[in-house]
Amino acid sequence: MIQEKQTEKKVIEKELSFGPVHPALVEPYRMRFFVNDEIVEDCEININMAYRGIEKLFEGLPVEKALLIAERVCGICSNVHAWNSVRVIEGGLGIEVPQRANYIRVLVHEFQRITSHLFFFGHAFEVLGHETFAMRSFLLRENFMDLLQYVGGNRVMPSVPIIGGIRPRADLNESLKKVITERVDAFESKYKDYLNRAVEDPLVMSRLSGIGYLTKEDALKFYATGPTGRSSGWNYDLRREMKEYKPFDYDVIVLNEGDTKARVVSRALEVLESLKIIRQIVKGLPEGPVVNRSWVAKKMDYTVSYVETYRGELMHSYGLDQGGFIRNYKIRTPTITNLAAMEQACIGDHVTEAILTIASCDPCLTCCTRTEVIANGKSRIMSDAEIIQRFGWRK
Amino acid sequence: MDGLLLFIAGLIASSAVAMVVGISFALILPGIERKVQARIQQRVGPPILTPGWWSVLKFMYKSKVEPIAQMPAFYKSLVLIGIVIVSFLLLFVTPYWWSILGWGSILGIAGLLKLEEVLYVLMGSQSQSIMSSSMPVPDLAKGSKFIGIRREFNEQHSAERSLKMMAIGSIPLYLGLVVPFIAAGSGMLNAVVSLQNPDYIVSNWMAIPIPSKPLLFTIPGAMGAIVYFLGFVMLMNEKPFSILKAKIDVIEGGVLEYASSLRAAYYLMRNLLMFSLSSIFNTLFLGIPFDPFMPSMMLINMLLSLIPVVSMATLAAFSPILTFRQIYPAAMGISAFGVLAMILASSL
Repeated sequence: MIQEKQTEKKVIEKELSFGPVHPALVEPYRMRFFVNDEIVEDCEININMAYRGIEKLFEGLPVEKALLIAERVCGICSNVHAWNSVRVIEGGLGIEVPQRANYIRVLVHEFQRITSHLFFFGHAFEVLGHETFAMRSFLLRENFMDLLQYVGGNRVMPSVPIIGGIRPRADLNESLKKVITERVDAFESKYKDYLNRAVEDPLVMSRLSGIGYLTKEDALKFYATGPTGRSSGWNYDLRREMKEYKPFDYDVIVLNEGDTKARVVSRALEVLESLKIIRQIVKGLPEGPVVNRSWVAKKMDYTVSYVETYRGELMHSYGLDQGGFIRNYKIRTPTITNLAAMEQACIGDHVTEAILTIASCDPCLTCCTRTEVIANGKSRIMSDAEIIQRFGWRK
Repeated sequence: MDGLLLFIAGLIASSAVAMVVGISFALILPGIERKVQARIQQRVGPPILTPGWWSVLKFMYKSKVEPIAQMPAFYKSLVLIGIVIVSFLLLFVTPYWWSILGWGSILGIAGLLKLEEVLYVLMGSQSQSIMSSSMPVPDLAKGSKFIGIRREFNEQHSAERSLKMMAIGSIPLYLGLVVPFIAAGSGMLNAVVSLQNPDYIVSNWMAIPIPSKPLLFTIPGAMGAIVYFLGFVMLMNEKPFSILKAKIDVIEGGVLEYASSLRAAYYLMRNLLMFSLSSIFNTLFLGIPFDPFMPSMMLINMLLSLIPVVSMATLAAFSPILTFRQIYPAAMGISAFGVLAMILASSL
């Protein structure tokens, strides 16, 4: 209470605002920094700039079609949305998934985790102003973009999971397993070299360390999941509880520093753990079918599924009506909580560093922007036109 | 009287040749800069002439976009003033200007560079693009913790950063600049060149006088050259010292609103400044001036001008943008190194 009173009395010199149209922002959002000199005293992030109404699109669709839309929620983590979408009905109706299919689902998930983390490095180094590391990160990423294409037939939307398993075309044969092993080996040596160079670069490290502190208490308070929370010492990874991950041996990277550097380093180390999992999958892939088609869409209660995605915890939930049509689809992506934590973490940073701090939670905004009006116990989604008509544009 | 007329005619001819050659060559430099960075990043990069020549020509013929600066006419004139300043900077290091009112001296060069720095402050304080404060976003919500706080334009923030850079960031450049003059025991450019290249002063226009005692190969000279080079990077607002135009926050800084022909003028100003500073480096630390009436010296000066440019491109490719948390100690450290170079230079 005393602290709040002190905050209200803060003298703020000026406000600096960036976005939603800004060359450094890969997605439209707006940051308002309240600064003294160049030090951020407070921050407000407004992500409500792009409404797609994607939850509304699911309404009334046959459940088989859900994953097609779910995969398009995000371009970087397309697979995990499709996977979690089918996990909901598999959990709700008790559909058995063959073990071989689970292995390949995890394989594609880890491929995309690596591409996501490398994309993050590309973006983070771009924000840092280090173009060479950013370019090299994108170059390294190509290895796994290729592998996604080899397995799923597509680089961005591999469309591997379906209800009851995976698409038969995504099954691994011996030559593909050999290609994956070779690529992973080649990638690992190049990646370690890249990592060493970044870590040993004093200029890069001077920019990353000592900024954007997020304490474990704040991480828990804001529910900052994924590498963001784990970099603040919160030892929480949903993969430990997912049955699909039980056969694999890997470490969960937990760092206690809680600063921007820790958030970057934790992702860098996670990539090495993903490589470990990929090798185990290729080596121990069980024989058997890859899809179970003996299921029928029927009435299903509102069911929830959580997956540990690349940025944190992802929730998908929906119910089915008598005809097997989707009702009340809800998605909650990790960015919404992680970004709230970053509003807190960037306080005390230099303005240029504060933007890096915000980028260090790897925000992905278009998949988390929602607007919902709840009146008289009923909820409804507002359209863009309705929002502008009602609230207008204000300077 | 005839002698004076001849001198004036020579001055005009020398200046015309210097400007034509200087501008033509300066517009090639950004292409080389970009190409070096691209090759380091394992990219092909743009054709050499595109970032300089073709960009300037293209922007000259683009339809005009008026800036929404506080005083648009003043804002527009700043870039033209910049071109004039940088042109004089190049001319002051050509031998014909050395004898005029002491302009070919440390005072002439440092004075013009200081004016150039002031321009960035003025540009930043004038510009107010739609990219920041004037964006029509309804986010002045009642629930905001701070209401009624002065909202500042990105460019104005960049102007504040320019002031800080003027106060501390540019000190190394001036310290590096002073070292050769201390070694020569004079504030005049001809003394600095005579010290390193005595043959040049007595050679005819066809000769190729090679410097016998280049300052760069002495300890204080090498130290001064390093300090000058880092100051050069700071004045060029290149990475790691490009905080004035950090893309992630202030975008382009004060020059953001220069579009079409004004953008072409800005590119011309920047590229000519890059060449002028490189040319000054060769004059001060190698004793090779940009002499329009001595083709060999002019050519060698131009070729050696690539060294600071390529070095700057390499440094930029391997550096992040530093914030003032790093710039202050870095500038102080480099300045201390510069002071040491000055002390050592006095013993030469």
